[in-house]
Amino acid sequence: MQRAPSAAVALGVFAALASLIPIGYLLLRLIDGYESALAELLRPRTLELLLNTALLTISVSLTALAIGALQAWLTVRTNLPFAPLFAVLATLPLAIPSYVLALGYLSVFPWFSGFFAAWLTLSLATAPYVFLALSAALISSNFAAEEVARSLGKSRWQVLLSVTWPQVRPAAFASGLLVALYTLSEFGAIALLRFDTFTRAIYNAYRGSFDRTSAAALALVLVALTLVVIFFDRRYRGQRWQAPTSSGRKRRIDLGNAKVASAFGLAVLGLAGAGVPIASLTGWSLKRQAFDWVRMGELISSSLLVAAAAGIVIGVFALAISIWNLRFTSKLSSAVDLTAWAAHALPAVVVALALVFVGANLVPAIYQTISLLLLAYLILFLPNALGLVGTPIAQVPKSIEEVARSQGLSKNRALSKVVLPIAAPGILAGVALAALTVLKELPATLLLRPNNLDTLATELWQETEVLAYSEAAPYALALIIIAGVPALVLNAQARKLISEVS
Amino acid sequence: MKLRSALAVLSTTALLLAGCAPQDDALLVYSGRSEALIGPLVEQFEQESGIDVEVRYAGSAELAAQLLEEGANSPADVFLAQDAGALGAAAKAGLLSTLPDEIYSLVPQSYSAADKTWVGVSGRARVLVFDPAEVTAVPETIFDLEDGSWEGRIGIAPTNASFQAFVTAMRILHGDERTLEWLEAMKTNAVMYEKNGAILEAVESGQLAAGLINHYYWYARAKDVGQSQMNSRLAQFAGADAGNLVNVAGVGMLDESAEAEEFIKYLLSETGQAYFAQETREYPLVGDVSPADELTPLSDISTPSIDLSDLDTLAETLELIRQAGLI
Repeated sequence: MQRAPSAAVALGVFAALASLIPIGYLLLRLIDGYESALAELLRPRTLELLLNTALLTISVSLTALAIGALQAWLTVRTNLPFAPLFAVLATLPLAIPSYVLALGYLSVFPWFSGFFAAWLTLSLATAPYVFLALSAALISSNFAAEEVARSLGKSRWQVLLSVTWPQVRPAAFASGLLVALYTLSEFGAIALLRFDTFTRAIYNAYRGSFDRTSAAALALVLVALTLVVIFFDRRYRGQRWQAPTSSGRKRRIDLGNAKVASAFGLAVLGLAGAGVPIASLTGWSLKRQAFDWVRMGELISSSLLVAAAAGIVIGVFALAISIWNLRFTSKLSSAVDLTAWAAHALPAVVVALALVFVGANLVPAIYQTISLLLLAYLILFLPNALGLVGTPIAQVPKSIEEVARSQGLSKNRALSKVVLPIAAPGILAGVALAALTVLKELPATLLLRPNNLDTLATELWQETEVLAYSEAAPYALALIIIAGVPALVLNAQARKLISEVS
Repeated sequence: MKLRSALAVLSTTALLLAGCAPQDDALLVYSGRSEALIGPLVEQFEQESGIDVEVRYAGSAELAAQLLEEGANSPADVFLAQDAGALGAAAKAGLLSTLPDEIYSLVPQSYSAADKTWVGVSGRARVLVFDPAEVTAVPETIFDLEDGSWEGRIGIAPTNASFQAFVTAMRILHGDERTLEWLEAMKTNAVMYEKNGAILEAVESGQLAAGLINHYYWYARAKDVGQSQMNSRLAQFAGADAGNLVNVAGVGMLDESAEAEEFIKYLLSETGQAYFAQETREYPLVGDVSPADELTPLSDISTPSIDLSDLDTLAETLELIRQAGLI
């Protein structure tokens, strides 16, 4: 067994320890007053919240999986017209923060609220995670095996279930996990659309009664839920699938009569996920009379700087953990990988308050500086990058690396000469996704940012406090346009893959 | 290898720790009131006093939670909050210093903390906002809203601090039992919102016949879209109704310093009070500064006297709201 590079081990251990900060903090709060925490957990209301949360999480995950899978299959595997255009449409909601999506709908349809609204908004907002993962997996899946199965008389549906599904299952589970945890931790859209979940109850405990113990008790339930979700994911995901060398032409499936209907369906989804909110925001923006372009320029540059820095930091850590856990697997590396996920369903406000506590009292030198903010982003969004960075790193055959080493390259040189170039697009995608998520983040940014740092998201928050749509809309649009850049990076990758299919 | 890894962990940590530390001597204000609202006034203060002010903007409750986590090590000097509850939470944790009498005595006692940890800066009245096309007879008292005819037509924000203060007032006036009855009626009749602004939005767009909000939301929106464009109207309940409660936004001091005191005095000065009266259409609380012309004078609104920062009372109120199933 080879030893992992110490830099990778160091970064991995650091990230895992960082992810444990919020959980440790919650336990500390719980010990402070476990009696009132227990009382909070035993209220009938808690059960109601649990059911609401489970209902929303399961329905959003399934819907997002269905939408993303449909988009991926149609754009990658069939002769759908304008496939690249539909691929762009499928990624676009990624650039829209879910609270902006909710706001976009609310400002047009004031009655938009409750379970249905929350389910629809979150499903549309999270479907791109599935689309990106599944389109990549579908591209590298073995087309020939499907054709063989077809020629043996299996129906298209049977082929999909028995041949295609096993090949893309790990990607589907990985993205489904992201969607589920995203839904568990979502607050902004849920609050606007007035559906009660655990996360909303946690916020209310902080806001209404300044009751940190109840909040901690509820948040720990979320951690437990996360561990349950991760358990099922690991149990049923199956092995990471190694790309077989599939030869021969990759032929697209002829949709026949369903062509127009499919294109229409994807157009409706694109309109719902991006068209309606963008149109409504544009409408509101035009109503605004005066506009401060200098201020807008400042906000855009500060947002970009913070997001880029965070993307790179998160990318480096994700790379280290992926190399360690996928190429030099050990018990410690799996533990680190799991730990990075454990805090991912915690609402950002909990992570932020944990870091406020640690920052102000233990490391005042970095409190309210960019360093602590970046640490918060690392804890919050490392898992988003892990999936994208990990897949290509796992797919580089061990044999190639061994050949390089037999030629006298050192372990680290072999990694950087052989593995990294192959994995580069995946790493870039991981950085892009992390940067994009950071751009949209609000609660932790508000609590941990340096005093003079304003971003598009914080400015948007200021304006929406009084629901001044016409004031808020230009910032929301700018945020979508800026976040569109990393979204396009992710998309370019998807389209490049799609174009490889003739 | 273990040693090397340990060293590497340490050096990574050190790298992250080596971020810039901007601890300067500017006065640091945590503001639960927005930049659009407070920013110009702070700038004016800086110019007139020569004191550097740095402001950290976020929600009042989030900032209170932040202060509680920071504890004694908070870098903040002044806490400016939207509502008494947030100030009360900071005071109860022992984070706010006692204000000197020359400041405390400026504001009527009913708008400040009894233990002198904070003072009110501006007042906001609870009002009924209604759509004249939907509501022809404005309800006389808050209890009229229990009537079945209001089902699905009245908006409330049960998680909002101002709403909770109003429920506290109702408890003091009418007792817990009667209040719970009213809340339970609201469970049937009312549509729940997160914020006052969302209720106003719903009434403006014709989604909702009426709602219980703070008066200045209406004026803020009128400023955004033009007063003539407003569909909704405001009304006060008759007599000393709990629905007419006057809440305050207030300020407290974390570390005693001449600069912090000067800042608070500025907020309570004629300039500061006139600013709130004109810019936010809130009620000035100090001296002879009169509110904006279109407002019902504060002296004409009779409300029960409650200690706005009493968190124990707030806890009981929350329990009732929860018992009724509103949050």
